[in-house]
Amino acid sequence: MRLLEVKNLKKIYTTRFGGNQVQALSNVSFSVEQGEYVAIMGESGSGKTTLLNILASLDKPTSGEVFLDGKNIVTIKDSEISAFRRDNLGFVFQDFNLLDTFSIQDNIFLPLVLAQKNYQEMNSRLGPLAKRLNIEEILKKFPYEVSGGQKQRAAVARALITQPKLVLADEPTGALDSKAAMNLLKIFSAINELGQTILMVTHSVAAASHANRVLFIKDGEIYNQIYRGSMSNDDMYQKISYTLSVLASGGEDCE
Amino acid sequence: MNKFFYPRLALVNLKKNGNTYIPYILTCIGSIIAFYTMVSIHSNKGLDQMPGSANLKIILFLGIIVIGIFAVIFLFYTNSFLIKRRKKELGLYSILGLEKKHIARVLFYETVFVTVISLSLGLIGGILIGKLLFLLLLNIVHFKSPLIFHIDYWGLLITTGVFLVIFGLTLLTNFLQVKLSNPIDLLKGGQHGEKEPKSSWIVTVIGLISLGAGYGIALSVKTPLEALMLFFVAVVFVIIGTYALFISGSITLLKQLKKNKRFYYQSRNFISVSGMIYRMKQNAVGLANICILSTMVLVTLSTTVSLYVGQEGMRRDFYPMDVSIIGEINNTDFAEVKAIVESEKEKLKIRSSDEISYDLARFRAFQEGSHFLKDMVEDESTDARYYERISNMILIPLDDYNRMTGEQKSLAENEMLIFSVGDNYGEATIVFGDQQYLITEQLEAIPMDFKKTQDMGQTYYLVVKDDAVMEGVYQTMKNDDDPQTTLHALMFNLDGDEDTLNTFSANLRTAITQSNPDIDIQNLYEALTELYFFFGGFLFLGVFLGSLFMMATVLIIYFKQISEGYEDSERFEIMEKVGMDKTEVKKTIGKQILMVFFLPLAGAIVHVAFAFPVITKMLAAFRLTNITLIFLCTLAGVLVYALVYTGVYLLTARSYYKMIH
Ligand SMILES: Nc1ncnc2c1ncn2[C@@H]1O[C@H](COP(=O)(O)OP(=O)(O)OP(=O)(O)O)[C@@H](O)[C@H]1O
Ligand SMILES: [Mg+2]
Repeated sequence: MRLLEVKNLKKIYTTRFGGNQVQALSNVSFSVEQGEYVAIMGESGSGKTTLLNILASLDKPTSGEVFLDGKNIVTIKDSEISAFRRDNLGFVFQDFNLLDTFSIQDNIFLPLVLAQKNYQEMNSRLGPLAKRLNIEEILKKFPYEVSGGQKQRAAVARALITQPKLVLADEPTGALDSKAAMNLLKIFSAINELGQTILMVTHSVAAASHANRVLFIKDGEIYNQIYRGSMSNDDMYQKISYTLSVLASGGEDCE
Repeated sequence: MNKFFYPRLALVNLKKNGNTYIPYILTCIGSIIAFYTMVSIHSNKGLDQMPGSANLKIILFLGIIVIGIFAVIFLFYTNSFLIKRRKKELGLYSILGLEKKHIARVLFYETVFVTVISLSLGLIGGILIGKLLFLLLLNIVHFKSPLIFHIDYWGLLITTGVFLVIFGLTLLTNFLQVKLSNPIDLLKGGQHGEKEPKSSWIVTVIGLISLGAGYGIALSVKTPLEALMLFFVAVVFVIIGTYALFISGSITLLKQLKKNKRFYYQSRNFISVSGMIYRMKQNAVGLANICILSTMVLVTLSTTVSLYVGQEGMRRDFYPMDVSIIGEINNTDFAEVKAIVESEKEKLKIRSSDEISYDLARFRAFQEGSHFLKDMVEDESTDARYYERISNMILIPLDDYNRMTGEQKSLAENEMLIFSVGDNYGEATIVFGDQQYLITEQLEAIPMDFKKTQDMGQTYYLVVKDDAVMEGVYQTMKNDDDPQTTLHALMFNLDGDEDTLNTFSANLRTAITQSNPDIDIQNLYEALTELYFFFGGFLFLGVFLGSLFMMATVLIIYFKQISEGYEDSERFEIMEKVGMDKTEVKKTIGKQILMVFFLPLAGAIVHVAFAFPVITKMLAAFRLTNITLIFLCTLAGVLVYALVYTGVYLLTARSYYKMIH
């Protein structure tokens, strides 16, 4: 089943003064199947975050369409957008974005509280999730009291607790050391195996090599993509590295 | 390195931190203006020559002290706020390779710039505004002849000295801050207190008890003397209670709310409660400061305005008749005194009315039921209730009373009529020494005085059979320093314009005292000048300090808003990402600032409400007993203050919202 469909997405930023225009996305089209684990790679400034923000309905494209489960999120009314985001999407950010005013547990509850779920339900959802992410011990602590890896796992829990259709992650391993990063990637793979669709922006080849598919963006367009097929993580790693080096050398073609 | 490097860096820093340093410098300037103005008015030579200015000078001196203390506390507070906010920046310098002593040098130059700017503008402002305020003061105290307001070089010197010391001390604390910290600390400085606050039941309970004690004292005060003595005790209790409750009580309460899962995990409460916990932790002290400052503003304003507005009524209490001339019978020639009065009236074409004259004896006695004892045992003098039982006794012979009132009453040797100025005299008899007298009538009125609230001991007029009885009682009861013989009084009211009456009063005193140096002349119009000085001085000080405190409040609020704006903007961005509505975000923010903002004001209003009974009692000590008037003045004060406060809120809220979006 096709979960996400992106058609001819274009995004032009107009700076506030002087009317300087930056074309962040020129023409992006792709689709994601239910249960897929997709990584998006590309050089700095190529438009990855821009793309993700649009998918997250945090930003509007200049033109183009985005369908999530058949619903065009570009045309959703402003008044419904928060609820839509809450119910359908989960986010993991590079800098965790946990609120320092809440304990880890309350941070994870936040989207459910906003969705006005009752406490019993929230609690029953948290139990297994916390166990799976190995954060049971730190639930009562505050963000400043735990490590980066723990924070990120908490953020993953917050993204998953609403049982979203799609998890969006922007460089989730960016602020983690290699061990914590590895740990997180394992978690991503595991939840993906349970059927969770994931879309992850990353600079890390190691991170991308866990995905089923890797999309490469260059100058605001999809430049190339690699399917895992039956490749192992290591093969995947080799292939991504190669593609990136071609990309960096400004290569016209690949494969 | 270029020798201008540090000064230039300092200047750049000040500019870069303009949105905090400009208000800080304005505060400094304001404090300097206030201080200089007070000092220069206090030392104005022209004021010395004014009769009655002694009280005013005491009031002004009080003002100097208060402003001095205030300036120290407040400038320290704002300075520490500024340096805390800049810790990150300073940490960055040190990581980029500036040594601590270099940072210290930058801080030094910054302080020098701030000092130079503040002092020069402050002193110039003081010279200009001081003149204006001086004119205002003269107007308030009804001072007619123009006084010149010189530039007070001595005052300039003192002000400069005081503020150099203050600035020097702030610089020292800044040095200390930098010296005691390492770069990592400095870098983190801004976000040190992220920990969730520890609330303590003990502190909360102490706060509650303390506040209860303060309020309890305020409510239980019965008399003006008690009020004067206990007021400051109550104030201290209330201040302790306020701090404890803001710091710990608020958090205890919020944590209690948080424990209630049903309540807490509602989207409305969830964000508010946790946000409030966080805010209270960061702002408790600031909010308690605002609360106490606001209370001070309100109390100062309402009392001083009440006194000033109410003085018309009060002076009748002090002076039931405009002029009263009382002398000893055996060494005063009352025919001559009367002649002088007539001739002085004639000179200025003044008419008098309600003229009365009568014999009297007066003394003070210690009342125990119907027994009146000769005055007073020294060591009991500290007991407030002791003073309440000291009564002023005035004896008048019956024929004088009958002549003045046109009545035909009669009395036996052992009978008296009584008029009590305050509460009615409840006993059927009255005993002086071993002589008991029957009270045959409680008089409702008496020509020379009227009924009024008596808070500090009673005043009784007793009409006795004749001079002999009066003399007898007087000789039994009089104290050593009372006159040897009984007295004679001449009293009348005056008609005419105030200026002429002032001249008349002065002339009359000179003329009479020439031949009768010991005579007691009480004159409303002479007293007016003094009263105006006294209450006008108070009003001036009240408004002055009120404005100063208000400025402080505004600044604290402003600093709070901008320091929170930055942090909150991040927080709400995250909430939006997690699926919170923009309008909901706005509503939540609005609710939180509103609560944080108006909590101190609400606290202050409650404080003032509880202080009201004490205030009325204290003002009664100044013979201001018109409670309606005090209430209206207080209410007006609260309203005006709330308005200004709301205005400040709206202004700062705007800049806060701008930061968030
Ligand atoms: N709010 C904005 N206003 C103007 N230009 C923007 C804005 N956000 C991004 N850009 C520009 O759009 C382009 C794409 O930015 P984007 O953040 O999507 O890149 P990215 O691929 O995420 O880079 P990185 O890997 O460094 O995160 C860049 O040239 C950037 O400068
Ligand atoms: Mg990015």
